[in-house]
Amino acid sequence: MDTELDRISSLPGHVLDQILSVLPIRDAVRTSALSRKWRYKWSQIPHLVFDTQCASITSQDQTIVKNELVNIIDSVLLLHNGPIYKFKLSHRDLLGVSDIDRWILHLSRGSTKEFVLEIWKGQRYKLPSCLFSFENLTHLELFNCLLKPPSAFKGFRNLKSLDLQHVTLAQEVFENLISSCALLERLTLMNFDGFTHLKINAPNLQFFDIGGIFDDVSFENTSLLTLVSIGLYANVRNVSHGSSSKFLRFFVNLPHIRRLEIQSYFIKYLALSKVPSRLPKPCMDLNYISIRINFNDFEENSAALCILKSCPNLQEIEMLGRPEEQADEEPQTGFWGDDQWKCLFGQLRLVKMVGISGIRSELDCIKFLLSNSPVLEQMTVKPASIEGGWELVKELLRFRRASIQAEVIYLEP
Amino acid sequence: MSEVDMAVIKPEMMKSYIWIQTTDGAIQQVEQEVAMFCPMICQEVIQKGMGSSKNCAISLPQRVSPAMLSLILDYCRFHQVAGRSNKERKSFDEKFVRMDTKRLCELTSAADSLQLKPLVDLTSRALARIIEGKTPEEIREIFHLPDDLTEEEKLEPLKNTTDDPRIRLLNRLYAKKRKELKEREKLKDVDTEEEHVDDRSVDDLLSFINGGDGDSKGIKTSKNKKKHKKRKDLQKCAPSNEAFEMHKKESNAASSLCHNAEVDHELQSSLSEKLKLQDAAGEIFAPTVEFDDVDIDDEIDPALKEEIDRNSSAQNGIFDGCNCFRLFWRIATTTWDRGKEWKKQMIAISGHDLHL
Repeated sequence: MDTELDRISSLPGHVLDQILSVLPIRDAVRTSALSRKWRYKWSQIPHLVFDTQCASITSQDQTIVKNELVNIIDSVLLLHNGPIYKFKLSHRDLLGVSDIDRWILHLSRGSTKEFVLEIWKGQRYKLPSCLFSFENLTHLELFNCLLKPPSAFKGFRNLKSLDLQHVTLAQEVFENLISSCALLERLTLMNFDGFTHLKINAPNLQFFDIGGIFDDVSFENTSLLTLVSIGLYANVRNVSHGSSSKFLRFFVNLPHIRRLEIQSYFIKYLALSKVPSRLPKPCMDLNYISIRINFNDFEENSAALCILKSCPNLQEIEMLGRPEEQADEEPQTGFWGDDQWKCLFGQLRLVKMVGISGIRSELDCIKFLLSNSPVLEQMTVKPASIEGGWELVKELLRFRRASIQAEVIYLEP
Repeated sequence: MSEVDMAVIKPEMMKSYIWIQTTDGAIQQVEQEVAMFCPMICQEVIQKGMGSSKNCAISLPQRVSPAMLSLILDYCRFHQVAGRSNKERKSFDEKFVRMDTKRLCELTSAADSLQLKPLVDLTSRALARIIEGKTPEEIREIFHLPDDLTEEEKLEPLKNTTDDPRIRLLNRLYAKKRKELKEREKLKDVDTEEEHVDDRSVDDLLSFINGGDGDSKGIKTSKNKKKHKKRKDLQKCAPSNEAFEMHKKESNAASSLCHNAEVDHELQSSLSEKLKLQDAAGEIFAPTVEFDDVDIDDEIDPALKEEIDRNSSAQNGIFDGCNCFRLFWRIATTTWDRGKEWKKQMIAISGHDLHL
């Protein structure tokens, strides 16, 4: 019986690295007290994660927890011996600005590739200028920070993924950042302030996900963009119709788009400009679309219809109503039900209707989709509330379906 | 039928098998889709055309024993089926890794040599879960690690500082101070005279500096001496005096602040800011500031002194000592303040100047 064999220490280096990376930091550091072989193993792990689970600090007092955490991070950084490729700091009780400055300075002397910083509470943390000298950065993720790079900042040459949430930066800073990071592939922007014009000039961008309040968004040189999710969190009201080509320009610069999510009030923004009956060039690659729409608004309906008609290869459609708004407005009739809007969804297999209140316009839209999708497999309808559910089901039963296999499923609200 | 055709194999055809030779020399057949789940086997088949018959059976790496192979194949057999939900897969994984650590290590090794990353991830996490939260002795016991470190090397670098008696003391001090500030704020309208509040706290201070026990009287005198000594030492360096001044202003300002817990953060962070300024100038660590451990140790139970000395001499934690240093600095400046007030009191009470 070879029960005395030490099997774990002989595992290959990268496997041990993996095990140590998964351990909370304090446990990882503790392995240095195990045996001779393990003494310095932890000090070479390339990922350092300091979050709420990294060390069990048993104290309710915030200040003690914070001091403890600062002590741990200081010690670990000092004892660590080797490149730090990934650094993540996201602790609930961390507020010390000068401490974070110090750690970023330390990291800037190395070759950090991934940097994640989440400030859970308090004001926006102003990033020190040494952060902008991280040459090897490929992924940057910030939460609740303020970015003000030095004037000599030429961008992160190797940055592929940028995730900014609850951040503040000036308009020029934003534009410079995007245009100077030529390799950028993924961009996430949520709840930002300090800039309102989103000019996205990123030749390698593939994934774009934003949610916030902005005045306009325009893409330039973004032929590789395949996934776009845009949420405009503020209702646009009566903005001048000056730029009537917003709608067209939006789609012109997204020739290879595959997934499009139009959330919150973004469809309204698109609908403000002149909407043609069909796009000049159809979006051949678009196979998923999700639109949040006020079914009683004429412009929004036109915009949605135009998009749908211009995407012949759609496989999945999701339409979400805005029931709070729809109740106020005058009901639209005869929009979707108009026979001249004949359209063929040759690949459409799945439709999801959410937040349906049973108004005429919605029912017409459902009818329209059902009768124009010969290979439809499933349509799910989720009502906004229990009221009128029975009426809705009665209507749904009547609709003709172009597809024999189509299932229409009524979900509980 | 060559293996290259496998890409267009239709389900109606007979199930195809791949021949594999284990380390004990035995050759067996494995269903193709199951075996191909392992990148290493996949590579052998595609790039080298092996595995199509008994003669050219794929020989597995050394680290894959027959028992491990059958486990790995079980894993592959389950996961290669496309229709399973994430929940099903997770539940299978959880049950799958329930085995003794010896087998777990072997399995990790085998999965790694077959380049089956998902299984390596799974087993690594399972091993990490075993290690997590245990003391080094326990871990050595479980994994049969040799106990070949010296006593010094065995000291963990990130000792839980809240267990350190010195820090526990300081934490109690802080907690008391915060409470005080809160009460002071409450009493603000009634009586803002610092001296009254100080009166109470000086006694408290003395009593809990001594760990809440021991007679205060005898120690009081020696304490005063120390305070005085510190005062003299610190007066030598001008910048340190500045710290006192600044600190005093801070504590005065703090008492008039109208926030509760926020005060502590601000106070501490502003203190740390000021200390930082000093750090930059390198003054705190300069020898002119006399701050012997000896002084501090006397205020602590002598029984603990030994342990502390032992620990401090074998310090692995670099900042442990320096952090304490800084924290003691803060204590000294706090008590210094009180000391002056206390002295005033004593003069008033005793009627003559106490020569300390």
